[in-house]
Amino acid sequence: MAPRTLPKTDVLIIGGGWTGLTAAYELAHAGQRCVVLERGKQRHTATSFGAPEEHDELKYAHRYEHMVDVKKETLTFRNNRDQQALPMRRLGSFLPGSGLGGAGIHWNGQLWRPLPSDLEMRSHYEERYGKDFIGPDLSIQDWGVTYDELEPHLDFFERICGAAGQAGNLNGDALAGGNVFEGPRSADYPNPPMRQPISNTLFGRAAERMGLNPFPMPSANVTKAYVNPYGAQLHPCTYCGFCERFGCGYYAKADPIICVYDRIKDHENFEIRLNAQVLRIEKSEDGKTATGAIYLDENGEEVFQPADTICMNAYALWNVHLMLVSGLGKPYDPETRTGVVGRNYSYQTVAGVDAFFDDSVKTDPYMGAGALGVVIDDYNGDNFDHSDLGFVGGGYIACKQYHGRPIGYQPVPEGTPKWGAEWKRAVRENYNHHADLVVHGSSVSTPENYLDLDPTWTDAYGRPLLRMTFDFPENDRKMSDYVMQRAMEVAREMDNVTSVSGSNNAAIDSHYDIVPYQTTHNVGGAVIGTDPETSVVNRYGQMWDHHNVFVFGACLFPQNLGYNPTGPLMGLAYWTLEHMKRDYLPNPGPLMDA
Amino acid sequence: MAKLFSRRAILAQIALGTGAATVGLPVQHAFAARDDRPWAFFTNDEAQWMAAVVDVFIPQDEFPSASQAGVVDFIDYQMATAYGAGKGLYLEPPFPDGAVAEQGYQLEFTPAQLLRQGIEQARQLGDFATMDATARADHVEELSNRDDFISTLIAELWKLTRQGYFADPIYLGNHDYAGWRMVGFPGAHAYYTERVDEHERSVTPPPRGIAHDRGGSPYPPRAIGGGSD
Amino acid sequence: MTFRTVLTTCSAIAVLGISAGFIRAQNYEAAPGISAMEQRLEDEFLRFNATVNTDVDDDVLELGRLVAMGGSEAGDSGMACITCHGGDGAGDGSGAFPRLAGQAGWYTYKQLKDYASGDRQNRVMSGIARKLTEEEMEAVAAYYATISAPYTPPLGDVDGMTLQWGGQLGAVGSAERGVPACVNCHGPSGLGNPPSVPYLAGQYASYMAHQLQMWKEGKRDNDVDNVMSAIAKKMTQKDIDAVSAYYNRVRPTQPLPPETSPLLEPSTAPTQ
Repeated sequence: MAPRTLPKTDVLIIGGGWTGLTAAYELAHAGQRCVVLERGKQRHTATSFGAPEEHDELKYAHRYEHMVDVKKETLTFRNNRDQQALPMRRLGSFLPGSGLGGAGIHWNGQLWRPLPSDLEMRSHYEERYGKDFIGPDLSIQDWGVTYDELEPHLDFFERICGAAGQAGNLNGDALAGGNVFEGPRSADYPNPPMRQPISNTLFGRAAERMGLNPFPMPSANVTKAYVNPYGAQLHPCTYCGFCERFGCGYYAKADPIICVYDRIKDHENFEIRLNAQVLRIEKSEDGKTATGAIYLDENGEEVFQPADTICMNAYALWNVHLMLVSGLGKPYDPETRTGVVGRNYSYQTVAGVDAFFDDSVKTDPYMGAGALGVVIDDYNGDNFDHSDLGFVGGGYIACKQYHGRPIGYQPVPEGTPKWGAEWKRAVRENYNHHADLVVHGSSVSTPENYLDLDPTWTDAYGRPLLRMTFDFPENDRKMSDYVMQRAMEVAREMDNVTSVSGSNNAAIDSHYDIVPYQTTHNVGGAVIGTDPETSVVNRYGQMWDHHNVFVFGACLFPQNLGYNPTGPLMGLAYWTLEHMKRDYLPNPGPLMDA
Repeated sequence: MAKLFSRRAILAQIALGTGAATVGLPVQHAFAARDDRPWAFFTNDEAQWMAAVVDVFIPQDEFPSASQAGVVDFIDYQMATAYGAGKGLYLEPPFPDGAVAEQGYQLEFTPAQLLRQGIEQARQLGDFATMDATARADHVEELSNRDDFISTLIAELWKLTRQGYFADPIYLGNHDYAGWRMVGFPGAHAYYTERVDEHERSVTPPPRGIAHDRGGSPYPPRAIGGGSD
Repeated sequence: MTFRTVLTTCSAIAVLGISAGFIRAQNYEAAPGISAMEQRLEDEFLRFNATVNTDVDDDVLELGRLVAMGGSEAGDSGMACITCHGGDGAGDGSGAFPRLAGQAGWYTYKQLKDYASGDRQNRVMSGIARKLTEEEMEAVAAYYATISAPYTPPLGDVDGMTLQWGGQLGAVGSAERGVPACVNCHGPSGLGNPPSVPYLAGQYASYMAHQLQMWKEGKRDNDVDNVMSAIAKKMTQKDIDAVSAYYNRVRPTQPLPPETSPLLEPSTAPTQ
């Protein structure tokens, strides 16, 4: 039975998270009638995420109450094409969101910019180290947009979030106390950096003694009462230690609801429909454009919403999934290495270092915030000489204090038995005497790491599940080991440290494991670029094959940088929106020649 | 369930024979106030077996054992509610062979089914009542190394034990904040703006959970580990 | 006037009996004994609540009591805390002076420091605070944190809609106005979140409304990171009145053990 068709709207936006609500805000103000379809439910920062009920570690951090329901949507996974992909039956390695605001509700609030060289990774490495430096088995490519082009947009998003930090490069001038490696910023951070606990402070001192360059982690947990450019009032962080996986009822963590939604929801050009699960995007007869989307409304009925322009703003994985089930663009085939949708999927290469202090250092880990850390960027990107190292990429090293929630935070020294009396003693003796270091490494892309559709299992709507084929490439194992060793050196240099141990998700003899949590930084699959043979969207985020479809989010990344993706992807989002408003909407058509 | 059911008696029975691991008998059970209520999910035998296992994971020392802190009650409640019924678990068939560890949980059981069937099988592999503390620990270790789904059961129980020992007391574990007191975690009411960078002064606030009124913890505090009621 | 004379005179006034109901008597004999206070501090939460910078012991409580009675070392401020805030810290019933009994010790101490430095302005308190030493500020804050007092009956009536609106703001804030719920920081049932966050439960409505108004107008500015002024600026007068009326009426569901009601001899204070 044919779905009911609604009156056409100017812009249809699929997904009500950071990029979707922002697109709606910007386009509504530009005179476009916007309809946002969000598959999850209504919630609000004030009423849905208030303490103390929100501070329920079991419910939100371990039963994943704010996350996607795998019974409705999940994916299948395998390390390589020799295996059969099996369903991810429980959430683990990554935690996509659900509901108004999406993952932007339960993120940590770490807010970064890419390095200029990150956006031109291929040309940069070839220029510095030679044409053959990047191995033939890596499909690293340039983004097609430069740091200078994105800078005003990266800056604007930092203002939207009230980012708290210390600038290191202000219009080319080096500033002490900031990140000396960062690309030049046109303005300082809108808010001062966070207050640091003893653990992070000791790390910073050790790093300085070693001639490294520590700085406070840039944070979207605001540090003072702050009003953003959209008129949203944020409130200062209380260091409550319930950041990632939780919503922030204090209004301190920038989230899409308080920063954007509250400021657009009453606009005449804005309409949002919740509990609206998009099933597929429909194409025109000649296939050159998309005509709208079919979705299940809150009553479970199929509805067709036509639109002139379509924005894809779902989480990275689901954007790619939607393209595949809708037949948008050419799906990637790893056998022939042709096609682009699903190609260049990558992740984040994370290692950790535990440093244990003697009794004189009491760390009070329960005082924490999602972006509370002291960082060194000396081993990120190409900030260090790769000539003899045998890999590309790097990552930041941070000593961080996000939380001390006792189910998840049970650091014990290496060699402690896995349970029993000794384990119990070790947990209580080390809870207050531990520093947590993270190595947040880049993730290069390869022709064998990709996304496509699974042949066997389906989601709750009868659509084939997304299939993920991914393992850490040799390059990233080497990179991760190298940077982890550097992190351990800093850890050993810290005052009052009695022991140091490391653990590496990309250890040399292991495989990517979908079970332990690593990051919710799934990137790629709908890559941005200047060549339709190797990208799904052009440098303006516009699909090569369907000029009225614009794509947002980390699915655009050709490979992943050594930073959390929210800042870079929102910079791209504002860049895309500027070009939509200025160039596309007055004169719809391809913005770039192939 | 028998009307004169007593959780305390059930768990005390398993405590007998643990030798040096317990101090004073019978085990002072956290939820003596709930003693005349049946288990929501477990049978008495299952609960006894559970208590033995969780007390291998977290035995009694200066701080309560897992069962003394209400972990068995926690797991019982979890199995009887959405988690046990498979919330958060994609259970669509097929369930082919050949899964590797990196692909995670691939059994066709809900957690409740896993526990019910797993405990039934595991109970045939050894009788805790005849073992002392060391033997019990060895037995649990053996079970965890098996090639069949019993090892998945043990892994699940270990995960639930850690959750039950440290979750907010509204979930029936972490009785009287046993877990939170042990590590020094103040709980759900959190405001540390003026303390986080005051490195010299550090006083951990006493614990308060979600349901905590300043008048007292949600269940009457009991003396742990010794003496009769 | 010497300290002793003050005490005698005020006791005389008390005896003359300005009775309870509308304006409470300043009953100086109501102040609980040190041993009763120490007994209260056996509760871990109350001890934490009363700890300012150092552990609370008998000496701290004795000094605090002395200061409360007007015995400031810097000489004769002429003002005893109990004059306005009551011997049991419950104020004088008018709402002009806040209830101090059981208030988070470090918070009270910080207010005294802010009065002394000028970070918080008040014609009466600024002068008083400037005459206190650091040790005295800590001690009197710990003293008031430790004592308890019955709640004064609320002044006047409030309609159900207003009360409910206040309760709603307190519990879930306002999505419409972008106001975070009070409970996030001010603790369960408005009982505070020591050391930094004061309780609201049972505080005088007129006092709280006045403070919110001052936050809103920028006349009070000693909150950390402008947290309270940002919230108050988003509140209307109705919001302010509602939430003040609500918290004034909130009571903990169980009494704080052990009870030190001023109506009882300290030595016969009941145990839990």
